[in-house]
Amino acid sequence: MTTITTTVPAPTRLGPPPARVKPLSAFATLSRRRFALSASTPRELLVPLLTPILFAVVIAPALAKMVGIGNGLDYKTYVAVGTVGLLVPLSCMFAGLGVIVDRDSGARRELLAAPIPRPLLVFGNLSVALVVSALQLVALMVSAILRGASFDVSTSGIAWFVAAALAFAVFSYGLAETLANRIPKQEEYIGAVPAFAILPWFLAGSLFPIKALPAGLAVFAKLLPLTHALAVMRYALVDPHGTGLHDIWGMSNPTAMAAMSLAVVAAYAVVLTMVAIKAFNRVAVQ
Amino acid sequence: MVSRSDPLSHLVEPMIEVRGLRKTYPGGVEAVKGIDFEVDTGEVFGLLGPNGAGKSTTIGMLTTTIAPTGGSARLAGFDVATEPIAARAVSSVVFQDAVVDRGLTGRRNLDIHARLWGVDPATAKVRIAEVVDSVGLTELIDRPVGSYSGGQRRRLEIGRALVSRPRVLFLDEPTVGLDPRIRYELLDVIKELRERSEMTIMLTTHYLDEAERLCDRVAIVHAGRIVALDTPEALLATLGREIVEVRMHDHPEAALASFRSKGIAGDDAFSVGSTVTIPWHDGSASQAVSVIGEIGLPTAAISTRRPTLDDVYLRLTGDRLAA
Repeated sequence: MTTITTTVPAPTRLGPPPARVKPLSAFATLSRRRFALSASTPRELLVPLLTPILFAVVIAPALAKMVGIGNGLDYKTYVAVGTVGLLVPLSCMFAGLGVIVDRDSGARRELLAAPIPRPLLVFGNLSVALVVSALQLVALMVSAILRGASFDVSTSGIAWFVAAALAFAVFSYGLAETLANRIPKQEEYIGAVPAFAILPWFLAGSLFPIKALPAGLAVFAKLLPLTHALAVMRYALVDPHGTGLHDIWGMSNPTAMAAMSLAVVAAYAVVLTMVAIKAFNRVAVQ
Repeated sequence: MVSRSDPLSHLVEPMIEVRGLRKTYPGGVEAVKGIDFEVDTGEVFGLLGPNGAGKSTTIGMLTTTIAPTGGSARLAGFDVATEPIAARAVSSVVFQDAVVDRGLTGRRNLDIHARLWGVDPATAKVRIAEVVDSVGLTELIDRPVGSYSGGQRRRLEIGRALVSRPRVLFLDEPTVGLDPRIRYELLDVIKELRERSEMTIMLTTHYLDEAERLCDRVAIVHAGRIVALDTPEALLATLGREIVEVRMHDHPEAALASFRSKGIAGDDAFSVGSTVTIPWHDGSASQAVSVIGEIGLPTAAISTRRPTLDDVYLRLTGDRLAA
């Protein structure tokens, strides 16, 4: 018996494999897009600056004439650093508005249909929020210096400051992105800004040391990432003895305390970024 | 286009392959109830149905913005669930609503699409110039999209989808909300695209003329299911050469039974509301009118016309397509 065998080709994919977009290239495109959108709405850049600059150049110098903070610290300078804790959350919350606009009337669905890993959309927005916050922060510090604030600048101090500000900004943007994805309406989001961006500022040692708070609130303040970020930033530029860090940790080695506080802020930043990506994915893919 | 009658067609995967695709939203709403279809390379395939039929959910699943709860779908051989990035890389989509960055120029919108779909900058520049010319936006392309009219914006979105030269183009209700003149202009753009390229196009619509004019095959969707799938001509042929509509003063069901008993209407005749619709397969419609008149039933009006896909939909579902 003769057996005739034939090979039936397996079904083939149609055409060559599609070009893979490099994540870094996609990230750069998304960042440029977000920056162009932010630049097209200058109020997004300017409005968050108003209140912190008002505090740094008007209110803090006025209060400095009335109160002393002790430990040889200049109150103007003390509050100038404290206003960073107001500026960064406000700036990031404004960046969160862009997420809502993208979702409601922008190009989010087009971006979701792009052949890129979707968390890049969050990272693209984050990168621009960081750049905008940094520019605003520079403007704030220059304003404070022009008004008489005096910073103790060293290379290691700048490194501590930048690390703390960066980690806190990442945390703040993670919070803003999470809220923007979980809150259905822009009006409700704006209503949530004071609770998340302003209220913690009053409790985190921005205007006075946390040891001046009632005991219960002081414990609560130690849980806030802003308290840790401000203590590290002051240690970096104003308070080399780490008085604010001591109020949190009760230890005597300021560098160790600064490292621990920075770790706390970084941990908050990582967790909130992961939460933000999860919130984004939940809304983006039904 | 790979012909469906080609004996070797089974050796090549269809460009779009959908098997038992299902979507149940949280809360239990079953938007898509297990649909199957294949679309060949170069084919224009339409999903025709009213709002809420499950068309956009189907597109959402194929573009990986909606996660299926059952079944599978492949684009150019790439599974949308397990290879979503590859599936997105071979496709582009024009959404039902405007999905653009209004604060950016038209050119910037196109450039962002090109970059995200992996088109190198030099090629993107050339393609953008071609696309802008073909959709007639040369004068506007460097203006912010916020200043565009609805029709201009939609043309920009179609152009944007073409910049990456997708193998599969999804058009989700591409002309909804546009005034008639712009709608017909856009249909011409899509028709030209169909004639000039080998791109596979899948469009959803609830406009009958769009489906008839543009599609090689149409799937009629009702309540999350495909109730008919064929060429527009074949679907229309099921209703004969002409449709006789008889509007009754009352008792349309009794009239339908009477027409059937006298051999005027067949099993494909149906009644909805006060109207009895009779597909007329043989002879002229004027014959039908005179035969119905001779029966002596109390009719309010009798009219004849060519069948439409709305009639097909009406016969299959008991509902009308057009709002």
